[in-house]
Amino acid sequence: MTEPLWGIAAVFETPQQLLEAARELRRRGVERLDALSPFPVHGMDRVLGYRVPPLGWVVLVAAVVGASLALALQWWTGAIDYPLHVGGKPLFAWEFSVPVTFELAVLLGAFAAFGGMLWVNRLPQYEHPVLCVDGLARVSTDEFVLVVEASDSQFDENRMTRWLQELGAVRVERIPGRGES
Amino acid sequence: MSGATTSLELSVAATACRLRPEQWQRVRIVLVALALFGWVTSAWGWSQDTQQFHASYLVSFLYVATIGLGATLFVAIQHLTTAAWSVTSRRLMESIMITVLAAPALFIPVIRGLDVLYRWAQPGFFDPDDPNVAFKRVFFSPTFYESRMVVYFVVWCVLAWLLYQGSVGQDRHGGSMAAVVKLRRWSGPGVAALFVTVTSAAVDWVMSLEPYWYSTVFGIYVFAGGAVAFVAAIIILALGLRALGYLREWIHVEHYHDWGKWLFALSVFWAYLAYSQYMLMWYANLPEETAWYQVRLNGSWRWVSLTLAAGHFGVPFLGLMARRAKRSLPWLGAIAGWMLLMHWVDLHWLVMPTVHEHGFHLHWLDLSTWLAVGATAALVGWWVMGRHPLVPAGDLRLAESLEHHNE
Repeated sequence: MTEPLWGIAAVFETPQQLLEAARELRRRGVERLDALSPFPVHGMDRVLGYRVPPLGWVVLVAAVVGASLALALQWWTGAIDYPLHVGGKPLFAWEFSVPVTFELAVLLGAFAAFGGMLWVNRLPQYEHPVLCVDGLARVSTDEFVLVVEASDSQFDENRMTRWLQELGAVRVERIPGRGES
Repeated sequence: MSGATTSLELSVAATACRLRPEQWQRVRIVLVALALFGWVTSAWGWSQDTQQFHASYLVSFLYVATIGLGATLFVAIQHLTTAAWSVTSRRLMESIMITVLAAPALFIPVIRGLDVLYRWAQPGFFDPDDPNVAFKRVFFSPTFYESRMVVYFVVWCVLAWLLYQGSVGQDRHGGSMAAVVKLRRWSGPGVAALFVTVTSAAVDWVMSLEPYWYSTVFGIYVFAGGAVAFVAAIIILALGLRALGYLREWIHVEHYHDWGKWLFALSVFWAYLAYSQYMLMWYANLPEETAWYQVRLNGSWRWVSLTLAAGHFGVPFLGLMARRAKRSLPWLGAIAGWMLLMHWVDLHWLVMPTVHEHGFHLHWLDLSTWLAVGATAALVGWWVMGRHPLVPAGDLRLAESLEHHNE
């Protein structure tokens, strides 16, 4: 009886090899791939087929809501709820409303961007099978790792291991599943 | 360039990237014709309506000078930050920068029209008994004004010349860390000197048209407008060369994307300054400050002000916000062309209300002086572009610049 396998991880020595291996596996129809590297590898997003998340639109909506709230606040408090003449200025005018409007638009936009980033990346995530493999610890310093999940339709441990070795992996690590516990 | 892998092969490919002589010749003839036409018609216009000529000429001169100075600032900043992304477009920046060398000669008609344009240049304008204007009486005397101009032009021409020679020197002798460090060393004091001289020049050239009016951000406002127009100009220049078949592999979509970011960011910066200046004066409501805006917010000038707010800020802000917009070359080119028009509207709006108080008034001299000054400066840039490769062939960061990515 074999232990449950979550996937396998191939360790490469250069970002070019990582990029090339990912491109080749994608060409062979492997879908459930992930790449880990100590720094961003240019072009990897496109190779892995990442879509641009709709975060920009979320941020835009949040910023517009922020601007509207700020304008409404300044107009209602200044001109409706507690009208107070200061220095002969109008109770409400766009001229003095711009700074607060801008600030609240940026504030809500930034909240949406930060919260949305966590949501899109499924963070915070405290444990993951890849994190339990001791042989992958150097991915945060100088190694480049390509992970193939066992749930991929093309997955066959022996064949995948051979492919990865042919693509220049210096070693291939097994990533055990979480099991029942 | 395709297939070039070593830095030597890249450098050889870059050296071969030059304007074709017959094409260079053809554009030069067009520019000479435009310049001649511009100067002849402007001279005739000067004999007909001296005041209109000098005002139109000042706008045209400012248009060309601010773009050249924006380019000088950009080149210096690239060296200062040791930027790699911009290396393949740097020769185009330098070609725009070198038009600064024409500025001293182009300034002569402004000096000749000093007393027509500037009320302070008329004898006895400032009351000698008024202690409030004691400083201005000294500062705005024609002799002191002209001496300042000499200092500005010397600083700009020396800086532009040093940066240009340091860059083309690497084409001939090969790149070296020593050359990189030397250019960076000039750029530090260069940027500081530019900010002091350009902001002062903006005060002298434009703000002093209203001798009693003052705004502390005015110099930076004019400089920011010039920087926006420079970025728009380099996008148009690169796209124009691209349409003729040049630089297609050297300046690619990743580089245009970054130029688009600059165009977006700088027009927001310009708007920030324009708003800060307006809001403070609106709030303080002091007569000597609001008079400047009163002229510009009445009559048809009001519509020019609104066009400026919508066109110089709204259009690039909404039009370049999306990533896709900055990466679409036709769209980026359209916005860049629009911004070049808006820079002219901005300068016209700064200068012309002193001559046409009652409303926006377009004169044919606006176009003919623009042709004269613009084509002359363009000739200077085009002349040096024909003499050197279109990319800094000796630069050590060519390969790094080509691999530039935005993800």
